Amino acid sequence: MVNEQLAGTSNALFNAAFVTYIGAMVCYFFRLAFTKVSARGVTSSTTTGARIGWLATTLAMAGWGVHLASVVTRGIAAGGRVPWGNMYEYSSTMALLVVAVGLVVVQRRFGYGHLMGFVIAAAVLMMTSALLLFAEAGPLVPALNSYWIKIHTSAAMGASSIFIVAFAATALYLVKDTAERRVASTSTFSGSTVGAGSIVEADNRPVGYEADGGLEERVASPFAQRDTLSPVLFPLVPALVVVVFTLLVWRAPAPAIIAGGVAALLGILSWYAIPYLPVAAKLDNLAYRTTAFAFPIWTFAIMAGAIWAEEAWGRYWGWDPKETGSFFTWVLYAAYLHSRSTYGWRGRRAAWIGVVAFLALMVTYYAVNLFVVGLHSYAGT
Amino acid sequence: MTETLPPQERTEPRPGGFRLPEIPGPFETAVMAWRWLRRMSTALLLLFMLAAAAVLATFVPQEPVIARTVAEWRAGVAGPGEGWARVFDALSLFDVFGSWWFMTLTVLLFISLTGCLIPRYAAFAKVARRQPPAGRNLERLELHTTLETALGPDEALAAAKKALKGYRRRRTTSAEGTPQLAAERGHWREGGSLVFHTAFYVLLIGIVIGHSFGWTGQVNVVEGEAFTDTTLGYQAEVPGRFWDAGDHRGFTLRLDDFDVSYHENFVPADFLSTVTITQGHDEVVRGAPIRVNHPLVYEGMKIYQARFGYAPEVVIRTPEGTELFRAPVTLVQSGPIWLGREKVTPGNPATGAPQIAVELALIPDGAIVDGQLRINSPEARNPRLAISLYAGDLGLERPVPLANLPWREDQLVGQAMLQPGGTAEMLQGNLIVEFEGLPMWSGFQVSHAPGRGILLAAAILVLAGLIPSLYSYRRRVWVEASPHGGGSQLLLAGVALHRKPAFAEEFTRIRDRLATATNAHKD
Repeated sequence: MVNEQLAGTSNALFNAAFVTYIGAMVCYFFRLAFTKVSARGVTSSTTTGARIGWLATTLAMAGWGVHLASVVTRGIAAGGRVPWGNMYEYSSTMALLVVAVGLVVVQRRFGYGHLMGFVIAAAVLMMTSALLLFAEAGPLVPALNSYWIKIHTSAAMGASSIFIVAFAATALYLVKDTAERRVASTSTFSGSTVGAGSIVEADNRPVGYEADGGLEERVASPFAQRDTLSPVLFPLVPALVVVVFTLLVWRAPAPAIIAGGVAALLGILSWYAIPYLPVAAKLDNLAYRTTAFAFPIWTFAIMAGAIWAEEAWGRYWGWDPKETGSFFTWVLYAAYLHSRSTYGWRGRRAAWIGVVAFLALMVTYYAVNLFVVGLHSYAGT
Repeated sequence: MTETLPPQERTEPRPGGFRLPEIPGPFETAVMAWRWLRRMSTALLLLFMLAAAAVLATFVPQEPVIARTVAEWRAGVAGPGEGWARVFDALSLFDVFGSWWFMTLTVLLFISLTGCLIPRYAAFAKVARRQPPAGRNLERLELHTTLETALGPDEALAAAKKALKGYRRRRTTSAEGTPQLAAERGHWREGGSLVFHTAFYVLLIGIVIGHSFGWTGQVNVVEGEAFTDTTLGYQAEVPGRFWDAGDHRGFTLRLDDFDVSYHENFVPADFLSTVTITQGHDEVVRGAPIRVNHPLVYEGMKIYQARFGYAPEVVIRTPEGTELFRAPVTLVQSGPIWLGREKVTPGNPATGAPQIAVELALIPDGAIVDGQLRINSPEARNPRLAISLYAGDLGLERPVPLANLPWREDQLVGQAMLQPGGTAEMLQGNLIVEFEGLPMWSGFQVSHAPGRGILLAAAILVLAGLIPSLYSYRRRVWVEASPHGGGSQLLLAGVALHRKPAFAEEFTRIRDRLATATNAHKD
């Protein structure tokens, strides 16, 4: 039933996609060095920059095609089933969706090519975790053998991948907003942070992205924003979070150090990228729009899961750790959406809720599957 | 003293801080509590507490889900230790979702929800009935444009009405008396949000009905045997508050056959119970399959495939042929082998008769190679049953699962390794133990869950409300038509109450639609 040769092909394609993505990520970040930013935040690439950007997009798209082939062959190799029957396949398919969301939504629809390095990095991290969770291609265990796996799991995967992109936007929003505030409080410019955090300003200036007119005079050079922030904490905090999380879940020091190193690199890159990032209000808007898109899908995933549980286990909700995890993730994302319409919670506070909600999503996915015994534990094997 | 003060000084504002603060009475307290609960930030706080409770319940084992792990935590075998377990017990952390504080949290959330919703219903009822308001000073709006058309004002506005499909439209006149079409859309944003939030009451009703009138039970049946759907027929049951013993359907379910097949990696590929249901004297369901994800429904009772295992038939008799024990013993999987214990005689302290029990270990198909157990297959192709006979004070009278009883080495009175049909003598030939056969057992979860339809309806309402509440935006558009030459000049203006940047693009599209509808050329 298992086609070993095809499974081998799938693994080779996975590795090829992995390497191509890393190349794309490096190009996306490298392009920043060839980008000019005007005081108004308008970016323009030099000829070299444009070429590197073109290469980055090409590599990302090529990697995506190879990755898609890997996922499809895996499904065929495992006996013609959906390619998300265990955590390795789930992580791989989720990374595939992250790149797709990045290319279609972030780069094409919103035009924020400078964020793509971070999006591809998220996909690469996801694929690294897939390698840690590698399982040979095999048929599904009976409990998973239902058409609900197509509905419930794909919805959960789709929503998660969009939440990952939303998190990248949220984290970068917090960085950019901090930088803008620092500049506003230290420079002689009259306090324009352009952030959603400054929705109500004393001088009744129009809000956020509408406030385009006159920005030139009000905003310091975006490079000044970077200078206001010390680059020390940027690599440290993400590295610490990732190392602790990896050690707790996998108890494997070597992957923890590598993952921590990657997180540190991303942290310092987010500092380096400050001048090139879209203004805070735009990042906040991207974070909100993606989260608002993923939230109904996540809601649907939980509902479909409840219906499946009713069919498979004879109860729609049993507070199994996975159910509980998906529930608190849902509650936190609901809190994020509510906080956006609560006075005094908009902007940074809402964004922090978004960060916590994302951590909850990661805990629900990794820690609950691998660490806690429950009905979803088989997903790890 | 205020009485001693001259009258003119009394009217002066008092300096703060020398009077006791007013202590609110019960009514004021209630009003304050209600106001506090109605605040959005309170709702957020309650949501965080709900999430925190759920996080705790994920990492602390929950008694209704995995009672065994909780018992281990309490005994200090697993988890952070006995002391912590006592703290957890005091805070009901082993049953978060059944605890009083979680109930309180849920009630507070629903009060908060009610407090938020009532004024919103009232406001929405008003807004939803109101016709789009007439626009004033349209040319001062950021988004406005003019078009010229050969149509007369009336005809132009009629065409505009068609072009603004999807909007709520009204013919009116501006303050200056110019004919105007006022249009508005996006009421579903608030309406959807109301539907979404209201759906949680429906969800609650469905859950309460399910818990009140529902019933869940578990039963293990050995091949060829049967159980009857009565309170006594099940090994464990969770009846709802209003479930009555008479609500059982009274059918008898016989397990005709159980089949399991494995993948090469010893993971079960499929397992299937074949059952026959008799009601009274009639076989109402004959040879029906039950497998995972495919339950059998009979008279509103759903029968699910849950667990399975081997149930070796063990006979213990005296050399004279008196049977002391004859039963299939249900074994549960423990790695590659199957384990189980069973009482043989409960003993009698008065006569001094000892308690006797057996402990079984089944190797379905394996061999000892170089002192290591090697499993060839998870299927019972070459089964070996290790029988250990224990006698003495085994604690069989204690309300503890047999598997958890600590039996001592010196209580072990006989051991044998048997093939099917094999016998062994124990206690110096005073007992004969036989491994008669190896049927399988199948575990069913049986449940009656009314209110499922309500839950499904609630789920649909949640989604049906959520999507417009996130993707519908309030917009107002006006078209004014004033006579101009042979035709008329149209002034189109619009304002967005949500998601303003996107409206600029939408406004361009509206202008194009209007131009096409009125055959106009743009300025």
